[in-house]
Amino acid sequence: MLVVPHYAGSLGIIAPFMALALMDHSRTQPAVPARQGLDDLLKPLLGRAYGLALRLLRNRADAEDLVQEAALGACRGYATFQPGTNFKAWFFRILTNCYYARHRRQRHEGPPVEFDETPELYLYSQTAALGLHQPPGDPAQALLNRLDSEQIAAALLGLPEEYRVVSTLYFIEDFSYEQTAGILGIPVGTVRSRLHRARKILQKLLWRVAVERGLVPEAVKERA
Amino acid sequence: MTALDRYTCEEVFRRLNDYLDRELSPAEMAMVKEHLDTCGQCASEHAFEASVLQELKSKLRRIDLPQSLLDKVGAILAEARLPEEQ
Ligand SMILES: [Zn+2]
Repeated sequence: MLVVPHYAGSLGIIAPFMALALMDHSRTQPAVPARQGLDDLLKPLLGRAYGLALRLLRNRADAEDLVQEAALGACRGYATFQPGTNFKAWFFRILTNCYYARHRRQRHEGPPVEFDETPELYLYSQTAALGLHQPPGDPAQALLNRLDSEQIAAALLGLPEEYRVVSTLYFIEDFSYEQTAGILGIPVGTVRSRLHRARKILQKLLWRVAVERGLVPEAVKERA
Repeated sequence: MTALDRYTCEEVFRRLNDYLDRELSPAEMAMVKEHLDTCGQCASEHAFEASVLQELKSKLRRIDLPQSLLDKVGAILAEARLPEEQ
């Protein structure tokens, strides 16, 4: 039975990206032999790809749809992939393009004002106030051990969209800033500044989740 | 290495995020490391930030790939290999 996914019609969204690649390489690339390697390249990445999709969308069905859409895009555009270049970055670019095409409406939200005042080393100070900096323990672990994966994912979700996507990619997969810039189609300097700022904001969001869940005591909560 | 070649605490702090992500030049990486080896306060802040990032990566990556998705992508790949498509 042939799979005819309902999302097939939305593939037009990655056409600009594929067209860009086509200009350079497609004429010299034989499609059939190249495609035979796709299984081996793609399947090991599906776990992380689904992880990124799930952390971005927070819904298993939507995350599965997104990965399938990206896989279909990879099949259709595989002739444009240059052997020897980074397949993982290539595939994640398709995935994030699919994500942005679906969720573009959220992109223009600016960061809430309160984040402008996030101090440096926020969690460092908070955990010190909590008395977690007693050697030989690891104060960061002592705090984060109180939060499970879903609570951390919830904090990540609180980031403004332009910080959230780059941060989620950062936490799910080990890409360099340059690779991340290529995947998201933004300058390296933008990746750097967004990631650094996102970390500060995320520390505040993590602390907020810990307070809301009653995982840190009231006395420290007052100082937050 | 002379005192002039060494980073101050502030210079190290400004580079901490890039250092954590290994995004500095080899020379800068070495300068930051040299400071961290000798400054307890900066070393403590660096260890904390490194641990936060490690914990977050570890927890956010804890996701099982559903078999259903593996099957569906397998079908997409199989379909892409069908000869008539060429
Ligand atoms: Zn120092």
